[in-house]
Amino acid sequence: MRLINRVLAALLSLALIAVSLLLIIEVIVDRASHRTAVVNWHTAYHWAQRNSWAAGSIRVTSGILILIGLVLLIAELKRPRVSRFAADPAGAGADGIDTAYTRRGLSAAIRSAVTAVDGVRSTAVKVKRRKVKIAAVASAQDRAAARSLRDPIAEAARERLTALKLRRPPSVLVRVAPRSR
Amino acid sequence: MHADRTNRTMMVLFALLLIAVGLDAGAASIGAYGTHTQHSLLMANPTGHFIGSNGAWLWPVAAVAALIIALLALRWLLALLFSTDRSGDLVIRSSSGAGRTTLANGALTDAVVGEIEGYRGVNSARARLIGDAEDPELVVTAGLEESADFTALRQRIETEALTHARQALGNMALPTQLDLTISTKKASRVT
Repeated sequence: MRLINRVLAALLSLALIAVSLLLIIEVIVDRASHRTAVVNWHTAYHWAQRNSWAAGSIRVTSGILILIGLVLLIAELKRPRVSRFAADPAGAGADGIDTAYTRRGLSAAIRSAVTAVDGVRSTAVKVKRRKVKIAAVASAQDRAAARSLRDPIAEAARERLTALKLRRPPSVLVRVAPRSR
Repeated sequence: MHADRTNRTMMVLFALLLIAVGLDAGAASIGAYGTHTQHSLLMANPTGHFIGSNGAWLWPVAAVAALIIALLALRWLLALLFSTDRSGDLVIRSSSGAGRTTLANGALTDAVVGEIEGYRGVNSARARLIGDAEDPELVVTAGLEESADFTALRQRIETEALTHARQALGNMALPTQLDLTISTKKASRVT
C-alpha cells in the first residue's frame, strides 16, 4: 500500500498544482481581458445554469465520487499486513534491540522445514498475524497416505517456530492434498 | 521517508472529501433537502448567489488561495520525490569535550554489514542509519541460511556486530532494529 500511496500522492499533488495554476491563470486573464485562457469555463457555467440537482448526470457523478471515496478510505484504513514477527526479548544478546523475523523469512523457514518431511512433494506457506497456513502436496496419490502426513508436517512447522523463538508464535494450520497424477 | 505519513493523511482527507461531496450532491439530487432544492438549478442556491454577487473580490482571493495550495502541493511533491529518512554524517562527542570527530554514515553501516556477512550462516546483510544525525537509529537486515542456528546467529549479531556499532558511536543505548530473514540461498563465502 505504501508504494501505491506514493503514486497516488504524486498524482494528487500534480493535480492540485495543475488545477491551482489553471485557476490563477483564468482569474488573471479574465480580469485583464474578460476572456477564457485555457479552459472554456463559460460552457460549464452555462450548463450549471440550465441543469437542476435532479439531473441524472449529478446522481451518476455523486455515486462515482462516493464509490471512489469509500474504496480509497477502506484501503487507507485497512490494517496493513504484518511484516515483522518480533523475536522473544528473553533470548536477546543485548538490551534495547528490536529484533524480528520478516514475514517472508518466516515463510521460507517454515517451507524449508515442511518440505524436508519425508513424503512431501511441495509446500505453499501463508503467514498471517496469528496463523500460519500450510498447503502441502504429498508425493503419494493415495488420500489416506496424504492425510497421514498432516501431523509430521505440523510438528516440523512447530519445531521450526520454536527454534526461531518468537515472542508470540503463530498457530499452525495444515492442509495436505495427494499428488494429482 | 517519502512523506509516507503525509501521503496517508492526505489520501484519507481526499477520500473523506470525495464522500462528503458525493453524499451532499447525491442527497440534493434525490430530494433529501426537499423537492424545492431537488428541482432548483445548480447555481440557484445561497452559495451560487454569494459567488455571483461577490466575484469582484472573491476570485482574486481564490487565486491567492490557489497559489498557496499550489506551493504546498509542490513542497509535498518534492518531499515525495527527494526526501530520505537516512541520517547524515554523525558527530561523535568526546568525553573531554575538546575536538570534533565526524563519522561518515556509510563507514559505520559498511563496517556493520561486513562484520555480519562474515558470520557463518549469514548470506547477506544491509544496514542504514535513519532519523536525525543527533539521534539516529540503526536498522539492520540480515539474511540467514535456512540451515543456520537462528538463535545463536541472532545472539551473535546482537552481542558482536550491533554492540560494536554502538561502541563506535559511543552510545550503548543506540536504538537498533534487527530484521532477520531466512532464505534458501547459500552465502558465496570462501572456506
